[in-house]
Amino acid sequence: MKDDTGTFENIALPYLNAVYRAAVAVCGQRQEADDLVQDTFLKAIERFESFQRGTNCKAWLLQILRNTWIDRLRRKKITGLALPLEEQIIAEKSHDNEIVWSNPEDLIENFSDEQVIKALSELPEDQRLTLFLIDVEQLSQKEVAQITGVAAGTVKSRTSRGRAVLKGKLASYAKEMGLLGE
Amino acid sequence: MEHLTDEQFEDIMQGEDIDLTHLKQCQDCQNRLAEKQAVAARLRLAFKSVKANADLVNQIRSQINQSCETAATIESIQHTWAARLHHKLWPALATAAAILVVLVPLSLYFGAPSAARAAQAELVNIHNHNLLPGHEFYSDAEPEKLAEYFKSELGFSPAFPCTGHGMAIRGCCVAHFRGQIVGSYVVDTPRGVISVIVVTDTPKSIGMTRMLKRIRGGQTCWKASFARCSMVTVRLGDYSYCAVGETSHKYLQELLGRLLPDMQQ
Repeated sequence: MKDDTGTFENIALPYLNAVYRAAVAVCGQRQEADDLVQDTFLKAIERFESFQRGTNCKAWLLQILRNTWIDRLRRKKITGLALPLEEQIIAEKSHDNEIVWSNPEDLIENFSDEQVIKALSELPEDQRLTLFLIDVEQLSQKEVAQITGVAAGTVKSRTSRGRAVLKGKLASYAKEMGLLGE
Repeated sequence: MEHLTDEQFEDIMQGEDIDLTHLKQCQDCQNRLAEKQAVAARLRLAFKSVKANADLVNQIRSQINQSCETAATIESIQHTWAARLHHKLWPALATAAAILVVLVPLSLYFGAPSAARAAQAELVNIHNHNLLPGHEFYSDAEPEKLAEYFKSELGFSPAFPCTGHGMAIRGCCVAHFRGQIVGSYVVDTPRGVISVIVVTDTPKSIGMTRMLKRIRGGQTCWKASFARCSMVTVRLGDYSYCAVGETSHKYLQELLGRLLPDMQQ
């Protein structure tokens, strides 16, 4: 009888939702995310013979997604929705200001899921995927370093900066919605 | 009193074993940690309901099925040839020899390692992306500028193609091949658009077979086919220049000979 436990469907398909979430995180739009996921899985199917059984398939897929996404950015010559440096510095400084969200309930009540995802997708490219992988997929810094092709120390600093910028984004949304004073 | 650094906060959030003495005593750091944890928790919650829709799942399943069918077809052809060979081997060695003449190229084609076939598929994908309407290239009339672009993207400048004879460079761009960033020139020719993709992999590792005829510079050429595309590669120095297009191997070989005439191996 043919053993099909090691097939692509059995090994890689269970991570479809994780790959899709990552695509939504980096694209910010569901339609573009659909395309990115399809491209990612097409490449993964083609390269599946080279995948080492027993290693981290989710990380392998996310690495393909990341490379595919970078290719798309390069092709489209999109520089990303990176914040201008000045704005980024302001956002990074925001943790020193009066807005403190120590209670997740405040964040839950103030923002919709779509607003939070939109804020994430507006982060600089290098921080966007890193923060998603650490906070949402709860991967280790070492795994994220492997996926994004940088040192673990860089993952740490990108995560920290990304979270600060995200908080700044949410704070500015809150101001727009009149939840915070000018 | 020195507060915790951003790196230390990240280590704490990762659950790493670090000294928490300061954190236990410092309200400011406790607040900052709580805030970081709150942002992380909110982000996690936002993605909790994000799932691939049924259409996407079906499309991916369909891609997998197509891939399985292709693999099964290749396997079936291989088995058929193996069975024929088995039956004809004993009755007539001459027939077997004749079959082998056919089988060897077939096995080279179908039996190429899957990783090599995947590499060929990647090259064709890069070419197909180059053909997409609205696809943007880095384009400049000055070869030096194009070389500078590649130098900045790839860390080296590939040989710049010599055009003329009805050929013109449409532009160049970079893509990923086997996890590495590679560059490609996109050339308009009288027989359509050809991509010349520059990779470090040897033609053999991409599953290509040697061509009998050499190009004008005397270099050996290698060929392969995938989907509707033909590929011809020439190795110059540390790089393989792989021409990909929907035309004959012969034409691609001539094209490479014209595009890269003065290169030294």
